[in-house]
Amino acid sequence: MDIFIYGTINSAALALMALGFALVYGISRIPNFAHGALYVITGFVTWICLRSFHLNYFLSILLAMIITGVIGALIYQFILIRVRGMSISEIIASYAIGLAILEGFRWGGFKGMTYTLPAFADGTIMIEGIPVDMQRLFVVIIGAAVVAFLWAFTHFTRLGLALRGMAQDERAALMLGIDSDRMAVVAMALGAMLSGLAAIVLLPLGNIVVEKGYDVLIQAIAVCIVGGLGSWMGAVLAAFIIGFAQIFTVVYLGAHFQMVVALLAIILTLIIRPSGLFGRQKELEERV
Amino acid sequence: MLKATDLMVFYENMLALNNISITCADKQIIGVFGANSAGKSTLMYTLSGIMDDIQKKEGMAGGERITVLGRIQYLERDITDLKPSIRAKRGMVLCPERRRIFNESSVMENLRIGGYLATKKQSKETLDYIFELFPPLQKLKKRIGGFLSGGEQQMLAIGRALMAQPKLLLLDEPLMGLSPLIQSILVRATRKIRDKRGISIIVTEQYARPVLPIVDYAYILENGAAVLEGPHDEILNNPDVRSAYFGVSEE
Repeated sequence: MDIFIYGTINSAALALMALGFALVYGISRIPNFAHGALYVITGFVTWICLRSFHLNYFLSILLAMIITGVIGALIYQFILIRVRGMSISEIIASYAIGLAILEGFRWGGFKGMTYTLPAFADGTIMIEGIPVDMQRLFVVIIGAAVVAFLWAFTHFTRLGLALRGMAQDERAALMLGIDSDRMAVVAMALGAMLSGLAAIVLLPLGNIVVEKGYDVLIQAIAVCIVGGLGSWMGAVLAAFIIGFAQIFTVVYLGAHFQMVVALLAIILTLIIRPSGLFGRQKELEERV
Repeated sequence: MLKATDLMVFYENMLALNNISITCADKQIIGVFGANSAGKSTLMYTLSGIMDDIQKKEGMAGGERITVLGRIQYLERDITDLKPSIRAKRGMVLCPERRRIFNESSVMENLRIGGYLATKKQSKETLDYIFELFPPLQKLKKRIGGFLSGGEQQMLAIGRALMAQPKLLLLDEPLMGLSPLIQSILVRATRKIRDKRGISIIVTEQYARPVLPIVDYAYILENGAAVLEGPHDEILNNPDVRSAYFGVSEE
């Protein structure tokens, strides 16, 4: 039972980390390697608002997410737009941005264990005799809410539908008046905010440290590769597979093997099924 | 409505469009006919502005250098330098070659994505019109776009373009690879769209026979140049056209 509960929590955490990356890649085909940096930015901005400006916690979160969204949009508008369509350059450029941001934080003195965010609510509840603290419960609730929101957003709103059209055939979308550059900015902002949301929900469980940025990026990429790049539902499913696999490893092999799981998942997926569980379109084309 | 003058397009040093001038008056159907690689799609991309996007992407990736010359006037204004999305907003919508349906979305979703530029009321009205125009789509609303037959996909592609509220519809090879039965349905639908909705249409095709009856004015392209143009009757009775594009020999 404890494996089930903690597996679910871990999976929800992974899904939260990966969705931003999956969203940006799915819509604009940009592998956003600055994803981890955006995650850490949100953490630090929230911390600064909270501790230096003594703002209310909720307000700090809101502000931090908006700032992260704007930074995501600016990254696209000023840098990635110039290398659009060349995947290698996109990877190099976005990774360089992420590296600059993360190492900039380290250089600026944000290191060590002093930076923490408070939990949303203290206390622990018992589920089937297993203690679960409130923050971990929030991870699951917000993870589910994000998935539901994304689904509704991309199926029922004009903007969400336009984003999906662009994800499938950018030029065909352009013919219908959907401006692909503007949509890519929207996608980047949304992806950055999702990564920020993940940071806000997950960081209270630990410290805000620069290394988290790299860690999140690797986990997000692992989830997206297993799920099939660009597929959101694939990412959610893969988050559950990797999430439970990690908990099983922790329980039966030891906690220090946890990181191996994500990397092993990448390697296995690339060997067995390179397009991932829900590799886009390839399969459809094969069947037709 | 549309007046393009002296359009020239180069792919590197290859001339794809050679000094083409084309006009389309209000509520006309214009036909552009020519063999493979005659420049039909290049013309459509240039008119709709998609060529800008191709040019930009090729330029960034270090691919082919594309040069576009000439002016395009649309609704009394020069739109040569406008982005394709703005041209679409002004009512110039391209329904592309090979249809380019959104393969993973259902028929209904394809249409709703097409309605990006439409208001709620317009979308609703246009949806009703599309299902009236193409009754087969009515039953396929939930079907995934990639699983439709070629004819159904083409109906969907035209419907999707209509959802964008065009004033000038550019149809690039709508009949390609379809059976004569579907072809005649599509040709009739094309005429209806012009008659009932007052939308001007430019249609390209390799094979002129099925479309020629509904066009008001036609251009014939060869190797990127317009070798012949004229009103419907004149083209129909031209002996060269008859032998080259209808397969009728007059010997």
